[in-house]
Amino acid sequence: MHLVLAFQIYDWHYFFAELLNGLTLGSLYALIALGYTMVYGVLKLLNFAHGDVFMVGAYIGWFVLNALGSPTKPVLPLVPLLVLAFAAAMVGCGGLGVVIERFAYRPLRRAPRIAPLITALGVSYLLEQSAVLLWGANPRQYNLFDLRNGELFSSFTIGNITIQYAQIFVISSAVLLMVALTLFVGRTRTGKAMRAVSFDTEAASMMGIDIDRVIMATFLIGSALAGAAGVMWGVIQSSLNPYMGFGVGLKAFTAAVVGGIGNIGGAMLGGLLIGIAETFTSAYLSSTFQDLIVFSILVAFMLARPTGIRGTPVLQKV
Amino acid sequence: MSTGAPPTPPPAAGPQIGVDEWVRRSGERITGPAGLPGHVKRAADRTPPFVLLAAFVAVAACIPFMTSNIYIQGVATDTMLYVLLAVGLNVAVGWAGLLDLGYVAYYGFAAYLYAALSGSRILTGQVLLADWPTWKVVPVVVGATVLLGFALSLTTRRLRGDYFAIVSLFFLEIFNNFTSNGDRWDWLGLGGTHDLTGGTTGLIDTHPWRMVGHSLLNYSRDYLWVALAGFTVIAVALTYANRSRTGRGWRSLRDDPLAAEVMGSPVKWLMMLAVAVGAGVAGFAGAVNGAYYQQVSPTSFSFQLLITVYAMVILGGVGSLGGVVFGAVVVNVLLEVLRFPNYAGWVFYAGLLIALVAKVRPWRLLAAVLGGVVVFGVVVNAIVGAVWSRGVHGPVAVGADSFTQHGFRAAVLHHWLVLPKNTYEVADYHIGNYAYVLLIAMVLTLTVVSGWKRYALLVPTLWLAAFVWETVLIEQSPTTRPLFLGVILIVLMTSRPAGIFGTPRVEVV
Amino acid sequence: MTAPLLELRGLGVSFGGLRVIDGLDVHVVEHEIVSLIGPNGAGKTTVFNLITGVFKPDEGDILLDGQSLVGLDPHVITNRGVARTFQTLRLFLNMSVKENVMSAQYGRTKSTIVESMLQLPRARRAERQINAVAEEKLAFFGERLMGYRWNQPAYSLSYANRRRLELARAMATEPRILLLDEPAAGMNPVETHEITELIGKLRDEGRYTILVIEHDMHVVEGISDRVVALDHGEKISEGTFEQVATDPRVVEAYLGTAATTKK
Repeated sequence: MHLVLAFQIYDWHYFFAELLNGLTLGSLYALIALGYTMVYGVLKLLNFAHGDVFMVGAYIGWFVLNALGSPTKPVLPLVPLLVLAFAAAMVGCGGLGVVIERFAYRPLRRAPRIAPLITALGVSYLLEQSAVLLWGANPRQYNLFDLRNGELFSSFTIGNITIQYAQIFVISSAVLLMVALTLFVGRTRTGKAMRAVSFDTEAASMMGIDIDRVIMATFLIGSALAGAAGVMWGVIQSSLNPYMGFGVGLKAFTAAVVGGIGNIGGAMLGGLLIGIAETFTSAYLSSTFQDLIVFSILVAFMLARPTGIRGTPVLQKV
Repeated sequence: MSTGAPPTPPPAAGPQIGVDEWVRRSGERITGPAGLPGHVKRAADRTPPFVLLAAFVAVAACIPFMTSNIYIQGVATDTMLYVLLAVGLNVAVGWAGLLDLGYVAYYGFAAYLYAALSGSRILTGQVLLADWPTWKVVPVVVGATVLLGFALSLTTRRLRGDYFAIVSLFFLEIFNNFTSNGDRWDWLGLGGTHDLTGGTTGLIDTHPWRMVGHSLLNYSRDYLWVALAGFTVIAVALTYANRSRTGRGWRSLRDDPLAAEVMGSPVKWLMMLAVAVGAGVAGFAGAVNGAYYQQVSPTSFSFQLLITVYAMVILGGVGSLGGVVFGAVVVNVLLEVLRFPNYAGWVFYAGLLIALVAKVRPWRLLAAVLGGVVVFGVVVNAIVGAVWSRGVHGPVAVGADSFTQHGFRAAVLHHWLVLPKNTYEVADYHIGNYAYVLLIAMVLTLTVVSGWKRYALLVPTLWLAAFVWETVLIEQSPTTRPLFLGVILIVLMTSRPAGIFGTPRVEVV
Repeated sequence: MTAPLLELRGLGVSFGGLRVIDGLDVHVVEHEIVSLIGPNGAGKTTVFNLITGVFKPDEGDILLDGQSLVGLDPHVITNRGVARTFQTLRLFLNMSVKENVMSAQYGRTKSTIVESMLQLPRARRAERQINAVAEEKLAFFGERLMGYRWNQPAYSLSYANRRRLELARAMATEPRILLLDEPAAGMNPVETHEITELIGKLRDEGRYTILVIEHDMHVVEGISDRVVALDHGEKISEGTFEQVATDPRVVEAYLGTAATTKK
């Protein structure tokens, strides 16, 4: 069996193709993981509902694409069409995130940690079932392949490696968004306020920082990124259903933990690692049990290093 | 340095607030849930131990004699299984404060193990593992599930709180993934594929329990009694455990794990014990499940089931054994009622009315709101009727039930709500969808405004709620049921986290 | 001189690069009352955390009756005979007064959960013992924590009563040595006086050995057999109260050096 594996590895085409797939998927996970990690940093809350916000973003993108003529008769050329889909998803999801925070989590700021976790479960469930209620449980397709004769999915080759435009598109948009976020958090006032709040909420509020607005901004940005990831999912995976947020959200959350929860760079790194791990597991080990294997790896990792790759252990004053 | 004791303050005249006498007289008012459930709980606390348990079990056991309707007996048995699950989950979540999201995996594991050991078959017809007699299978299943709980709880040695929640959720996902795909288990490329779990079809033909030479084949009745018997033993055992040093250890670790450990309680062991005990209860329930449903399939042990059990525990009151039993009964009965649009409708309107009566206090205000809703509806109906004649007097409660045009309720609704004649138009124009989203927006706004604006907004919101109910929710009742669960969780946690019979907790921030 | 009950030898620990405790040697003889004083940030509570196993020291050893406590879990250390109170109270607020004290008796009984479930004789005996010990410890404080108060939740107690409850809980672990972290913090003069007498009573009647962290010098003077002064994690003085209070190093630690005149 090992010989077979060894032999397969020497199939470099396959290896790089899968690596590229992994990076593409990983960029997506990274975007979603950012939302998890930022919210955890600021509120110490695991926002279970975040994965479902991602799902809503994918659906919003679908509606925009369909409204603007859909695969066969697009009203706009390809690029503006996609940009519009992204914008709509980001705005919509950002708004959704803010609403969720305002009504489901804010009343529980002072409650024990278990309370907002359970509420988050409820919100996640509500989003999923509302999606089924509104849009039906049947999967929907982005049908982008039919758009302009699959132009988006045509590929070019560098040396031995085949690269699809869609993959380039996804990876580069993700990188762009992540760079924008890093600049935002590092350079702007709100970004600094977010970092202050994640260090010590009480002290930050005593320094004049409006905690409510900072938290709202965190949810807005995180959810907008998830919305963008949703459209990306539609682009590369094409098929959406109301329950997809759950599994993806779980993996993205683990990416955040693996990278070190609360650490933005860690979330990006974690997302890429998980994406690559999942793709390689599916390609080389077993695609039926890919989820099982990935989850097992994640459990093992969390046990071995709970603070993640780039996280720092938190000291508590006793 | 001063000499001797500092001067004592002069004695005051009469009882003083905060001083012992006053506290002693009014102290009892502080603890426990407020209002009607508080009275119930205090009355329950005053009854001798286990009288309530005996009463409950006696009443439940008589259900097969009170009705011969197989469906109702089935609901009763289902409810007892949920009661067992809720009681087990309460140990880890309610007593020890550990968010165990993998709980349903123990239940599923036990059901599968029972099936595998009781001669059930996979699709090819071969017996999976063995065909043992009941007295061997049930203890083995319960024991194995306890071990599984211990295994998962080992993670608490390294991870706390949120992380344990996530890892336990992974555990559930791993379990689901394994059972759904277990018919193609190939040891990652070595050897051929083996069918370990029956895959998506699951295991069929599970043998029933056999006790004292007699097989339990009267499915709805026998397993109700089995579950009740198990519940009695479990409830008594858990109550005693909760009153012992273990129970105190759990409660102290829930409040402050560090202080608990410094005061001599072995916190890590206690956490593992809580998870394992809960798993054991789920194990028993799983053994009953495997026999009662006569088959085991992966979709039964899903995230939806987890949410359902959590909703039961939270609603009933975390930490209160009687409370979670109550929560399990209420939630399951409501879920069953929601299967039937007509009954569900009554429950829905009754629920709205009760909530209004409880929350809108001066009864004149209540009358005004109700009157306003009626007037609003009639007016809207008239306007829409005039503008779009096909928009009103349409069928009532589409769905499992028929297009009933007659009857008192139908007549009322025809003049009060906007019910389009052609229900497909509702779907085509997505009126229901927009109404649903609008309803949510209005409900959220209600929580934000106050004063007269709130009552004014309440009128159209109630009407819209009825509209959405009739056009969207009833029609898609399979989705409404889980939706209702999610709503329960959110509403409870934001307004009354202690549930109905739970005691409100004080937290150190 | 008798062998000390508790001994810290060359104890040292760093947190994230900051040396918090350095080369600390302290000993407490049985039935002694030793006070640990020093300015804020000197590391006094950290010493307690090290002794009780909340933190692990980087070097040095902690010996109770000659046996090392380093590396043991906190509950094991407690069962060996070390009890403490917390500077910021850490009661189990949602449990009743009596239950708080009963919970501390976990390590002193030996019935398993299965025995409790089946109400076997050993479990019932354990419950009776725990009850008796709890009532006895609560009675130590006079009428304040008796009677109807037993079933009241701990969050309903006044501050002073909470301090007393925390003390009762620590006593219920039936320790050999009590570590009291600022027992008189936040108390008015009447209550402070009461605490001083109480600590004396603990040693005389209860036969406990006591290590106290305290800021209020009246209390320190009133109770201590010996005083140890810490600053920046190091011992700077040791002796009777008079010796330590007049030690120039201690004065300097609290008040700072005389200001130098500007040139």
